[in-house]
Formats: sequence, C-alpha cells, structure tokens
Amino acid sequence: MGISTSPPPKGGRRPRGALEREILACLAEADDSLTPAQVLASLDQELAYTTIMTTLSRLHEKGVLRREPAGRAYAYSLADDPEGVRSIAVAQRMRRLLETGADRAGVLAHFVADLRPEDEQLLADLLAESRPASARDDDQRRSTHRGPG
Amino acid sequence: MWSLMWLPLAVNLVLAATGPTLARALHPRVGVRLLPGAMLVVASGTGVVLASLGFLALAQIPAVAAMGNWSPIALRATQLGPVPVEVTAGVAMLLLLASALRQTLHAGRLLVRADATCRRCGAHTHGLVVVEDDVPDAYALPTLPRHIPGHPPGGINGRIVVSTAMLRALSADERRVVLAHEAAHLAGHHHLYVQLAELAAAANPLLRPTARAVRLSIEREADEAAAAEVGDRRLAARALARAALAKAETSKQRRVARVALAATDGFVAQRATALLSPAPRPRRLLAAGLVLLAAVTLMGTAAAANRTDDSLDAAERPVTATALAALPALAG
Repeated sequence: MGISTSPPPKGGRRPRGALEREILACLAEADDSLTPAQVLASLDQELAYTTIMTTLSRLHEKGVLRREPAGRAYAYSLADDPEGVRSIAVAQRMRRLLETGADRAGVLAHFVADLRPEDEQLLADLLAESRPASARDDDQRRSTHRGPG
Repeated sequence: MWSLMWLPLAVNLVLAATGPTLARALHPRVGVRLLPGAMLVVASGTGVVLASLGFLALAQIPAVAAMGNWSPIALRATQLGPVPVEVTAGVAMLLLLASALRQTLHAGRLLVRADATCRRCGAHTHGLVVVEDDVPDAYALPTLPRHIPGHPPGGINGRIVVSTAMLRALSADERRVVLAHEAAHLAGHHHLYVQLAELAAAANPLLRPTARAVRLSIEREADEAAAAEVGDRRLAARALARAALAKAETSKQRRVARVALAATDGFVAQRATALLSPAPRPRRLLAAGLVLLAAVTLMGTAAAANRTDDSLDAAERPVTATALAALPALAG
C-alpha cells in the first residue's frame, strides 16, 4: 500500500488487521473482560462503537475471544488457546533464542534496544516537554482504571 | 580498459567511508532498498577483483598450469604486482567467501526457525502474539516468502510479538505506534534487506558500519510509517521514549550488568530526534549518485573478469604433437 504524503486523521485509515491487533492488545493488557464500550474508551480514538462491536464479534466467531453476557452487551476476553494470542509456544521458543544470544545476525529487530546512559536523560527530557495535558490525564485515568470491573 | 578493474576496490573504500552518512541522508524508504543492493554489488565486485588477482598467481603453480594448459612464464608477465601480494589477495577472497557462507547459513537457520514459530500461532489472531514477560519488548517475527492462496492469514507476513510489560508501560495510543511500527517491518520485508546488508558486510568487513546504518534506516522507515498511520510524529517519539525508558528501568531493577545486555545501539535517541524533526525529504540526486556508484562497480567487475579471461587465453600453450596423438585414444 502506498505511503500517503499527508498524515491521515487520527483514528483513520488502517492497514488490514491493525484494528484487530489493537483490540487484542487492549484485551491482553486488561485484567478483566471488557465490553465494547470499555474497549472503545480504552482505545481512546475516534472510532465508531459499531466498528468495535462488530470487530469483537468477528474475533469471537473465529475463536480468538470468549464472551459472557454483561448487561445488554457482552464482555470479551482472550480465549484460552495455546495457539492464540497468548501463545506459549512462541514465548518459549523465542525466549530460548533471545537469551542464548543466538540471534547474532539480528533477524529480529526489537522495537527498542538497551539505552546508553547518555541517552536516558535525553529521552526523559523529551517525554517531559512533549507531553500535552491530555496525555497526563491519560496516565491518571490508566492508573485509576484498575478498579473493580 | 583493464585498469577499470580497480574501480570496485576504489568504490569499496568510498562506500565504506560514506555509507553511514548516505544512510542518514537518504530518505529511509530509499536507503533501505538501495544501500543493501549497492553493498552487495560492491562486496561481490571486490571479491571478483581479489579472486582474479589470486587466480592469476595460483595458475602459475606448475600443477595448476598443466591442468589449464597455461604457460606460467606468460602469466607472470601479466602480473600486476608481486606474487605475495596476489596470493594474499586470493587468500583474503577465500576467507571472505567463507565468512559470507557462514553468515548465510546462520541467518538462514534463524529465518527458518522464525517461520516455523510463526506457523505455530493461530491464524486468527491477525498476527498478534502477547508473551508474558517482565521485560518490555516488541519485535516482528517474519515468515519465509510463500505463494499460497489465502496466505498470509490476517494479511500479515509474520507475527508481531509484544511482551505484557511493554503493553503495561504504554498508553493505548503509544501501543498503537508500536504495533504499527512492527507491522511496517513485516509489510516492508525489512528483515530481508537487513540480511542482505549483513551478508555484504560478512563478505566485506569494511562495510560493517554501513550495515549498521542500514539497520537504523529500517527502524526509521518503520517509525515514519507508524507516525503516518497514527497521524502524529510527536506521539511516535513519545512511544519510543517511553518504551526505551521502561526497558532501561527494568534492566536496572534486575541489576543486569550493562556488558551482559543485548546490543546498546544508540538508535533510540537518533530515532526520537528524527521524529521530532521535520519529515525526511527525498534526496533524488543522492540516490542517483549511489546507483551510479553501483553501475561503475559493475563495469569494473566486468573489466576484472575480462582481464583474467584475456590473460589466461594469451597464456594458453599451443597444442603440442603429443596432445594431438593422444586424441584418438580420448575419442575412443
């Protein structure tokens, strides 16, 4: 797919599967099962409720998620599938590979490698000065989110 | 003109010196694809030149000269330098070739293992795998190229592996950046370009810094793709910074000695700075210059091969009466 010259609106056009992955990541991170409304709030993007609901439903049909009734909606969580999102096989195999340092050829590119000491301050400053007020509220909301259901 | 045969060696030195700068200057999307190609052309060109030097020295050994029916005296006349130098060139070429083969085997093994691991994950997770781990980490697991209808499942060429610690450390927006970044690696087949660059560097250690710069370009391209998808380069920079600091914090808590850690590549700071700077512009002249360098190297490589051919032809001994007499026996 082509790379657009102007950035798309926030929450806009995604490559195939991107929304599914975001939702799955959201559910993986949550301690509890989530309703579509909770997923929508968690993702905090300009997405339609129906989009979230439909995607969750489709993922449930594929067996990736399980659900239980929660009021008028369903609450979704990751299914207990050893070959699903929380794949133990992957975890074990890749841990062995990474720990033994066998990936000298660098087949796997990690999102971040370890930091040099001089870079830590630079990045800390970057975070401090580029946080808009909404992001600070975000952090507060996240830390209080771990309440009952 | 056989003096062109020195071009690959000259370009080798030029590329070795300017590679990292080129990688930074070129638009990441262009650098990722052009540089590994240029590196391979230069590395193999140098290999051919070294091989031709070495072979002409090797062919003067009586046993070898007899096999090829060349006159050692005639070959010595075509020598470009003292025999020890030519022999060194030949030996160097063999060592570099061995290094390249070793690299190919090693990388190939890992790519096969990555592919096998991918196939063990469900086809319906759209490529996401979450592993339970205290260390924040995320990476893309590539599959090998396939031509099966209906593949790749979920439209993705591999798996995106994220640790639970990484998910916990980031906000939903920042998670989106990480997922988009890794998806960009898979969509762009970046692992192939990295391995091509590493192969060239294995065959030509002078290109090691350039290979490293290619890795940075690959991260830059994925960063820019992620930033474009979320529509916010500052957000992408924040995600990067937060992830890196979370990882550093975990390492400190575990009191892992710095020397035991995986490569500390210094990329994160450069990437964050780049995301906070204006978007990269295409540098067409620079790209054209690199293509020109590669073309010039190919010319030189051809010249070296031709020269070897010509030298061997010129040194060929005329067919002797003894050989002619032996022919019917051979035909029988």
